[in-house]
Amino acid sequence: MKSCLTRRVLLPAAAAALASCQKAAPTPFAGSSPVAVLKAKSYQEDLVAHILDGIRLCGLQVKDKRVLLKPNLVEFDAATAINTDVALVAAALTAFRSLGAASVIIAEGPGHRRDTLGLADEAGYGKIIKDFEDNFVDLNCDDVSPIKNFAGLDQFFFPNTALAADLIVSMPKMKTHHWAGATLSMKNFFGLVPGAIYGWPKNTLHYIGIADSIVAINRQFRRTFAIVDGIVGMEGNGPIQGTPKPSGVLVFGKDLVAVDATCCRIMGIDPTKVGYLTMATDLGALHSSQIQQRGENPTSVRTNFQLIKQYQSLRLT
Amino acid sequence: MPEGYLRPRLETLRRHQNPDGGWGYFPGKRSWLEPTAYALLALQNEKESPAWQKGWRLLRSWQRDDGAWQPNGHVPEAHWATALAITLHCANKVHDAAFRKGVDWLLATSGAETRLFARLFAMVDKSPTGHDLKFRGWPWRPEATAWIEPTAHTLVALKKAATQISGSELNRRIVLGEGMILRRRCSDGGWNYGAKAALGIELPSYPETTALALLGLQGSREADLTAALRQAHHLWQDSRSRWSRAWLAISLRTFGTALPEESEGQQPTHDLILTALEALATPDGGHRYFRPTGFAA
Repeated sequence: MKSCLTRRVLLPAAAAALASCQKAAPTPFAGSSPVAVLKAKSYQEDLVAHILDGIRLCGLQVKDKRVLLKPNLVEFDAATAINTDVALVAAALTAFRSLGAASVIIAEGPGHRRDTLGLADEAGYGKIIKDFEDNFVDLNCDDVSPIKNFAGLDQFFFPNTALAADLIVSMPKMKTHHWAGATLSMKNFFGLVPGAIYGWPKNTLHYIGIADSIVAINRQFRRTFAIVDGIVGMEGNGPIQGTPKPSGVLVFGKDLVAVDATCCRIMGIDPTKVGYLTMATDLGALHSSQIQQRGENPTSVRTNFQLIKQYQSLRLT
Repeated sequence: MPEGYLRPRLETLRRHQNPDGGWGYFPGKRSWLEPTAYALLALQNEKESPAWQKGWRLLRSWQRDDGAWQPNGHVPEAHWATALAITLHCANKVHDAAFRKGVDWLLATSGAETRLFARLFAMVDKSPTGHDLKFRGWPWRPEATAWIEPTAHTLVALKKAATQISGSELNRRIVLGEGMILRRRCSDGGWNYGAKAALGIELPSYPETTALALLGLQGSREADLTAALRQAHHLWQDSRSRWSRAWLAISLRTFGTALPEESEGQQPTHDLILTALEALATPDGGHRYFRPTGFAA
């Protein structure tokens, strides 16, 4: 398509820019949010018990809810730790079922691999989780419905499975990210965007802006909980080419901003310097004074994740 | 190919055709353009049947006024799978006004990185991608950047269309699209999704993108594909992913590579695109529909 610099293009753009300048800043989150940090040294521990503890410490109600477990399935490489470990996802399935959820499904829409089921199979999901395919939805290829006024677009489409869930449980791997600084429970929601419309990768999100997209998706999906897999995370050139980082923690919470801010502090990253978190201060608790830390103190389990040179300035002092 | 492999796949596709004539990505889901196009290609030998014709009419009904196809009946937006619709029109030997309009839309579409603002930005960007922006490929959606997969699908479509439509713009876009793919080849000989390196670190090739890039490069004058075909064969031998193996078999067989047959005991999955691709990948299947017969570079 030809570039066409006409008044018809420039005037609306100028008007939109002016409108965004005049838009009132969102009201900062004023409450406080519980976040639980639990030690877990390996995937062989009783993870169901840990998850039930985390849910209890955060006061989450599960009974009769349609629960969607959203792991982070990106790419498989046996030499590193890219995906949410299958043992944790299997344990979450058991834990949420035991608490009387109306239904529990696992759903994911990987960012660039088309063969979602093949990827899940390589990551051990088919082998470890009984009847995995019957309990799994490929969000990239689900039926969709439109949402109006999303991130400056007139409409945007999301999977019906995600829109219908009463509770979306974000289950990311604790990782550094070479474009976003860190990828945690909020960034994990990129997997809710359907590749069948937005492609592999979901390049429309890059055009909106990675940070803007993370915040916009999290603004859309508010009935959430997070279980962050920090038993073995990834440091350096994440989210795919980094190196495994044993951190020995699981992080839980309903407020995903507070969860991600806590994870950053554990990783030795200053959350007030992570772009998408600073843009989400109306959605949840960024500052430690607003976070009710339960379980372990984040400082006591802090283990600095290696940062690529572009993100050295994010280091928590 | 023994009937025991192909037949259950075609039966699965017939069984899961939706009442509107199309196919969803999975059984019981709404009809979408992409699985419908692959299913109609896989069932091309039945194109006189009422069921096939119903699917064909549904697919045709999803064309927009601007010539692009939309991804399904509920999402009224221009979509990369317009390329698949054009390939299907060629396989079906339908070269009417709708077909020409679709080709025109493809010719008018390119990655957003090639537009004026993006090129100006690239001149001052401190972290350039290293891409030569004069080589224009195709994006998943009109507002986004060109990637290997949609570019490869569009090259297949345009090369097949070239036997019916002549024009300098069509030839120019084919040359530029091939150039885009060739300049993004990984050091191992294959292709990643969009780039050969990120942040200065080389990226590995992937099976399905390598398979598709090779399909897009059929008939290219510029390309020496020896190393790429060797890499594709290695990937086919090493890959456990049925999706990857299906695309690689389609691509390698299109280039005349002899491959052993897949096991008859392997059952179709409920992924309907994979089922169609596995049918197309058989030696007697429809991989020939991806071959731009008659195209002269």
